[in-house]
Amino acid sequence: MLRRYLAKRLLIAIPSLLIASLIVFTLPRLIPGDVVVLMLAEKAYAKDLDELREKLGLNRPLPVQYVEWLSKVARGDLGESLWTKRPVLEEIGQRLPVTFELAVLGLTVALLIAIPVGVISAARQDTIQDYVARSAAILGLSVPAFWLATLLIVLPAIWWGWRPVTGFVEFSKDPVGHVTQLLLPAAILGIAAGAALMRLTRGMLLEVLRQDYVRTAWAKGLGERVILMKHALRNAVIPVVTLLGTQLPQIIGGTVIIETVFGLPGMSRFLFDAINQRDYPVIQGVNLVVVSVIVLVNLGVDALYAVLDPRIRY
Amino acid sequence: MNLSRRDLLRLGGAALAGASLVPSVAPAQTPKRGGTLAIRTWDPPHFDPFQTISYKTHIALSFTHSRLLKHKAGPGVVPGTFPIEGDLAESWTQPSETTYVFKLRKGVRWHNKPPVNGRELTADDVVFSVNHFLTAKGNANAYMLRAVEKVEAFDRSTVKFTLKEPFVWFLDMLSNPHAVAIVAKEVLDKFGDFKKHETVIGTGPWMLDSYRPNVGLTFVRNPSYFLPGLPYIDRIEATVDEDNASRMAAFLSGKYDLGWEFPGTVNRVDWVQIKDTLKQKRSKLQTLEFPAPVMSHISMRTDQKPFNDVRVRHAMSLAIDRKAIIDAVFEGVGAMNPPVPAALREWSVPFDKLGDGAKYYKHDPAEAKRLLAAAGYPNGFPGTMCFTPYGSTILVDAMQLVQKDLKAVGIDVKIDQKEYGAYIATCFYGKFESMTFGPQTGFLEPDNFLFGQYYPEELKNQSHINDPVVADMLVRQRRTSDVAKRREIIYDIQRHLAKQQYYVQMPSGIYIAVWEGALKNYGPNMGYDYGGRLMAAWLDR
Repeated sequence: MLRRYLAKRLLIAIPSLLIASLIVFTLPRLIPGDVVVLMLAEKAYAKDLDELREKLGLNRPLPVQYVEWLSKVARGDLGESLWTKRPVLEEIGQRLPVTFELAVLGLTVALLIAIPVGVISAARQDTIQDYVARSAAILGLSVPAFWLATLLIVLPAIWWGWRPVTGFVEFSKDPVGHVTQLLLPAAILGIAAGAALMRLTRGMLLEVLRQDYVRTAWAKGLGERVILMKHALRNAVIPVVTLLGTQLPQIIGGTVIIETVFGLPGMSRFLFDAINQRDYPVIQGVNLVVVSVIVLVNLGVDALYAVLDPRIRY
Repeated sequence: MNLSRRDLLRLGGAALAGASLVPSVAPAQTPKRGGTLAIRTWDPPHFDPFQTISYKTHIALSFTHSRLLKHKAGPGVVPGTFPIEGDLAESWTQPSETTYVFKLRKGVRWHNKPPVNGRELTADDVVFSVNHFLTAKGNANAYMLRAVEKVEAFDRSTVKFTLKEPFVWFLDMLSNPHAVAIVAKEVLDKFGDFKKHETVIGTGPWMLDSYRPNVGLTFVRNPSYFLPGLPYIDRIEATVDEDNASRMAAFLSGKYDLGWEFPGTVNRVDWVQIKDTLKQKRSKLQTLEFPAPVMSHISMRTDQKPFNDVRVRHAMSLAIDRKAIIDAVFEGVGAMNPPVPAALREWSVPFDKLGDGAKYYKHDPAEAKRLLAAAGYPNGFPGTMCFTPYGSTILVDAMQLVQKDLKAVGIDVKIDQKEYGAYIATCFYGKFESMTFGPQTGFLEPDNFLFGQYYPEELKNQSHINDPVVADMLVRQRRTSDVAKRREIIYDIQRHLAKQQYYVQMPSGIYIAVWEGALKNYGPNMGYDYGGRLMAAWLDR
């Protein structure tokens, strides 16, 4: 049944991806000032603009350009960057692992914060631990990641003359240095997501802890740890998993700033630069990849429900 | 040399570019070979100098490529001046007003990389590069050599240029770091263009050793560089660092040897915040201050009412409190600009020689109101001001002050803020209804500031000016090879323009060039030529 459900969801995802492709193709072209104007910047004459548009194939009708691009995509070709002339797929291939690693580490940090603190906070409701955890969560939600990142970079430099590693350390050259370099940005990314997840974990756990079967467990004389971790948490965590799926786009969005601040050569910064430069094939390619990843992750989240709660059937 | 803010204020305006800013030349020391210099850089969109005006590309190539001529560099060169010397050219002559003949250095070799593998450079390479510069589609810098009719190789080491008409700025254009980088035809044949980093093969002092997209570039010393013994520095590590807090922290912790902003400077707002910390942590840093060539102005539709009335334009200039702008956005330190920015100290007319037009640069709202009333606008008039922030809070602050000043005399400006691309496509090219406010490219010679902005039908004639007096002088200065006479014409142009106020010029900030004390024989200046300025510098550490 699950397989059938997943196959159905994958089929439904195709029109979603097509709509997304149409949007990512059209929107950048609707912004005034095209790539040719930006390439020639302040020194272009009308003749130069027309010549370059022709050279880049941008003088053809939009539907023609769209269909041509889509047929290439169907063959696994995302086109070439208008600026660098390199294949978009190759460019994404170089950068996606960095963003993916950062996002996964960020989510891990978020979970490492959210689950233990949420459980403690719910188990110790209205105690000093609970107040501290809830206040910290509010703070975590309120503090913008870019501000926190700035403080964490600038203050140590002013106080101790130290700053995180500049330049990207490749895993193949220095695995420890590579992971160490990603820890701080991942922690910053994970804090806001962790705060939201922690509040939800606490809330859901409190609700579950008030249910009859938990009272029965207490009456049976089961220990607190068993009740919390085995009986209550598993039921409380389903909405948390849903939220985790929706946090992914936010975390990917957050990587734009974090990659810039920490000088990481990821895909988000690549996309940001491409938007500024109106590098249409790159904007289209990166967005298509991001949309596909999000669709797949949410599909995975749906599948996870059945694992967490065997009562759920597809 | 360190100048305090008080010193700078005392010097004031254009005088900032005065002789007192000449960097002191350190007692002669024997240069040392070796070491690694660390700088902040930007990720180039690609490496084809014929396909972009981006400073990100041209700065990177300043380390690796040669030109026919270049600007002299070193502590003896006053920032804002650009004396010319040979780069690949050993010497040159000008047999007629429209002919230039260059003798190339002998024994110049390309970097030892395929497909050229260190072969000797010839005059044909120069001819190829110039022709490619002039004909490559999408080369927005081609205008710099628009005067060239043909370029020929006489023999292996002689190149002759024939111009369509006299153009006395020709040598300045060839020296400009974003003009013709000399490239090899084999590279174009192999790669199709020069966009990939593998195509970065020149005859310059350093070779590109590695390029990590969005991370950095490493340059290593070219062992076959044509000037014996140079460069002294073995390695340049250029790190892409797009976040200001990150690069400030890196600079504080000693990870960069030059100031992190263009061109090796530190933004004054940041400088004010960190200078005390820097004194403790990096006590040997050297600094030098000089006016920036980037100048904002208000352009307006002088071909339409109400801006076709010179009294309205005078009123607008008198309405602007430039001193308040310097105080608010440049931390109290700035330079007043006539039509050619004060930064170009050889060509910008000093205010005491600006004549009658100088009075319109003063802040006099009462006189502005009187002039508006005389022009038939006793209650002022409404208007729109096209604007893009360029990601700069400083520019936004300046725009708001301009809006406030104009409002005070009755000109009710509604800001029409556009996204950068939209702004460049429309307002930057004069396609606007009323007014535009924004910065202009910091050129290194006055012709670009004047001809482009004031000659009829020129692309950047944003104010739609058609003034035969100016047009005549603009053509004349281009044909006057005697520098003193040309300067006088350029001064006259500025005097005339000050009286006309086709554009309302704003003050510029003052650059704070900062560099590590261990970096010797280095002199900061404007422009993209990082490689040229570092070529004879050396590290004492």
